[in-house]
Amino acid sequence: MSFFEGGLFWFVEGLLAALAIVALRTWAQDKGIRMSFWKWPMVVVWVLFLGVSIAYVGTSIGEGEMDAAFLGAICGAVMASISGVVVWRLLRM
Amino acid sequence: MDTGKDRPDRKVRVDRRTLLKAAGATSAVLGLSGLGLSGYQAGRDPDSYTGCEGLQGSAQDFDRKRFAVDRPHYEKVGPTRRADGRTEVIFSRVGVARSAAQKGTKIEDLDEPFKSYYEQHPEDFEFDKQNSELRRKVAEDSPENKNRYILAEAWADAMGAVSPRPIGNDPPETSDFPRQGSHSPFKMKDPAATAKLIKKVSYEFGTVLVGITKLNPDWVYKYPSSRRGFARDEPIEVPKHWEYAIVVGTPMSWDPMYANPTYGTSNDAYSKSRIVAFRLASFIKRLGYAARPHTPGNSYDLMVPPIMVDAGLGEQGRHSIVITPELGCNFRPAVVTTNLPMATDKPIAFGVQEFCKTCKICAEQCPSGAISKGDKEVVRGYRRYRLHSSKCFNFWNSKHGSMGCRVCIAACPYTRKSNWVHKTALQVTANDPTGVSHKLLTGMQKRFYPGPEPSDFYAATLGGKNASYREPPWWLKTEDFIEL
Repeated sequence: MSFFEGGLFWFVEGLLAALAIVALRTWAQDKGIRMSFWKWPMVVVWVLFLGVSIAYVGTSIGEGEMDAAFLGAICGAVMASISGVVVWRLLRM
Repeated sequence: MDTGKDRPDRKVRVDRRTLLKAAGATSAVLGLSGLGLSGYQAGRDPDSYTGCEGLQGSAQDFDRKRFAVDRPHYEKVGPTRRADGRTEVIFSRVGVARSAAQKGTKIEDLDEPFKSYYEQHPEDFEFDKQNSELRRKVAEDSPENKNRYILAEAWADAMGAVSPRPIGNDPPETSDFPRQGSHSPFKMKDPAATAKLIKKVSYEFGTVLVGITKLNPDWVYKYPSSRRGFARDEPIEVPKHWEYAIVVGTPMSWDPMYANPTYGTSNDAYSKSRIVAFRLASFIKRLGYAARPHTPGNSYDLMVPPIMVDAGLGEQGRHSIVITPELGCNFRPAVVTTNLPMATDKPIAFGVQEFCKTCKICAEQCPSGAISKGDKEVVRGYRRYRLHSSKCFNFWNSKHGSMGCRVCIAACPYTRKSNWVHKTALQVTANDPTGVSHKLLTGMQKRFYPGPEPSDFYAATLGGKNASYREPPWWLKTEDFIEL
């Protein structure tokens, strides 16, 4: 079993995610953005979407399906960009 | 004088907040990159192959109980008729048409039952007569094109090299039962426990999926397709001891299957499924019960797909192949009929009928146009998609490589590797009663996982490009190993 399938990988991912969340909170405070109960889930969903898109591209490359990887990257990037702008504007409300 | 006291302090101060933000940003990048790498690993991981790597039942992991239904999906719409194995099985009738093509024999001069069959299906006569000519044209292809498949053909032949001794010509009332002088059947304690035992030993014998059902006599050929103790032109009276049907089988190896129609072969799965079925029949006979294997390679007395549906292994798709949740349609089954009392499995419904209505990828990729793009029709009293077997078999003779095509198996969206992408898609389609996800996923399948043009699959001498659905694996690329 490779490192990326084992529990240790997900433990490390969890630590990195926790650190990223703390940093996001600090950054938001510096920017004067007040994070509220609905903003947190919105950001989490956006990051999850980004993560799933990247994982899909990686999986498709691993399968040898380069068309799927390329189209997945394009669609993921476009959707993440558009939704990212929306999320940013909502964060600043 | 510059004493250094007035110089600005050169020490760079990094406050904790800045450090935290930088660390968080780095973590985010690392975390997302890790997801990409994890995805890459999931994609290439040999453990995710739904080829013949499934061992000891671990591949049969779909929760069938959630999708069990009381009645199978096929609809009985009128008086039913058992299939005539002499004429409605392409392999049984095509020799007659080939001979007719050579001699210039017309339909009205053929012997029965072929005369009646071709009078009702004159189009099939025209298609079936073409086989020999198609093979001849393929043989005229350039050495460069033909020699590309030397390794694939050697592999296909090797996979068919080991085969159990076929059932002889004794009637099933003799050949299906233990040898004379054997003990009488052991009294089994509990049908549910017996079913569990049979499934366990089937996995040990090498099956990847197994299901048990009562045998519906409608699925037994009216007349035999091959002599296995039956007289050729006498109707089969379904033996009383063919009470239950156990479906076993294996998938084809993934990489060659995905490079069909030229590099793949049915032999790898056929030979394994045959061995499983014969082992299982032998085991059951040692318990004192009757058992008869029906195996690929045209050694069947019955139709396997509806038995697979009854046994809860999957649903029959548009291409007429049964789609299983674990392996898609990459599953080559065999059946053992027996009178060993067992608990049976229920059929399942996991969204295939609804998906196949809108998908049609198999029909669009089919090189011969044998798969219907229309609605279901009534075939021998049951509503199902019709497959034009003569067109299908003609394409088998229009390409290089091992006998058979299998493009529909490779192209089917259900035939995918077992990783999180395709497992998620399967669960979404299985649990979506609205059909919205079916259309979305079909659209994604067509754009993200395209295949060659159907005409490209033909041999070059028949206007094609000797295309395969995907590139062959490294070990079947003849040009890398043999001086051509």
